[in-house]
Amino acid sequence: MGLVLLAAAATVAARAADASLIGRTAPDFALPAVVGSNVRLSEYRGQAVILSFWSSRCSVCARQLALLDRLYSTYRSAGLVVLAVSVDDEPMHAEQYARTHTTSFPLLLDTTKAVSRAYAIDRLPSTVLIDRSGVVRYRNNDDRADDSSYVAPIRALLDDAVAAP
Amino acid sequence: MNTPPLYCLPVLVRSRSLLLSLLLLGASPLATPADVAAAPAAPAATTAPAPAADAAAAGDASPADAGGTRALDQQIQDLKKDVIDLNRDLFVLEEELLFPANTQVAVFVSMDVGDFFALDSISLKVDNRDVSNYLYTPREVAALIKGGVQRLYVGNLKAGQHELVALFNGKGPNDRYYRRGATLKFEKGVGAKYLELKITDRARAQQPEFEIKDWE
Repeated sequence: MGLVLLAAAATVAARAADASLIGRTAPDFALPAVVGSNVRLSEYRGQAVILSFWSSRCSVCARQLALLDRLYSTYRSAGLVVLAVSVDDEPMHAEQYARTHTTSFPLLLDTTKAVSRAYAIDRLPSTVLIDRSGVVRYRNNDDRADDSSYVAPIRALLDDAVAAP
Repeated sequence: MNTPPLYCLPVLVRSRSLLLSLLLLGASPLATPADVAAAPAAPAATTAPAPAADAAAAGDASPADAGGTRALDQQIQDLKKDVIDLNRDLFVLEEELLFPANTQVAVFVSMDVGDFFALDSISLKVDNRDVSNYLYTPREVAALIKGGVQRLYVGNLKAGQHELVALFNGKGPNDRYYRRGATLKFEKGVGAKYLELKITDRARAQQPEFEIKDWE
């Protein structure tokens, strides 16, 4: 009974965190990349951004990053940006991952977890979709998410780009 | 300008965010009954319809309707301008309240040339207390090299002796990791204090140079 209550409380807390961000301006951040230069979120204002929180020890995250890589190669010309934020404690683990897996988007290091806290990340993988005006529009915490889970929201964000002057 | 009491500050800060929200919605906080009546039309102006629908609407609209739409559009643009002006005034007021001139300390960053140093981050300590840790993106570095000056930190300090320590991280000559520090002991008087972190190239030594300049 206690466990059920605890699980219910956790679900409610997670939904509250989701609700608190959706419709609000995405918290800005600057993070170092595993390879390459630093990245600041606000510099992508005007483009649709997918933030994916991952860890090198999470096998589902690897699958998700591969999926996002496919989507990125399809939609990058339409203005999609993907930023993958590693929550690994040790940058070395993320670097090892980067050596063995090729991604066409930047892998960022959030060793202090400041960005993860700002986005209320409570499970992995977690994905946050941000529209061209910098507002959080969707969150996805589904570890079984596939292409179809992302295509509709991505297209909605990119269509906004056509509507917005 | 009359300075409002400090207890007004939370209200002012809230007002700024509210004003910005209203601006995004295309509405005005100073709405008159006429504005309220026109309000349902505002979202139509901010979200553009599909091109085909737009063309059809333009074809069907009478000249009187078109004139009315233009007037409404002008009214919305005026309201947006008012909100932006008001927001600017509130921003200035907020700065004056948070950082009064007699205690204000501001630290700026400038970069000259930058051939021998690719800036990555700057950590700032005032009186041995971390006050800023800023990561630079290539675009920001490019802006600094072009002559931009960044306000890295603004805070409050009481009058007296203080110490500023700046740690510069980046890549030096031959792409090597480079970490250098610069320290300045300064006297804070009654007026605002402005300090500048200057990164310059020392061509003879083929090395970057870091200095802290006190703007008297």
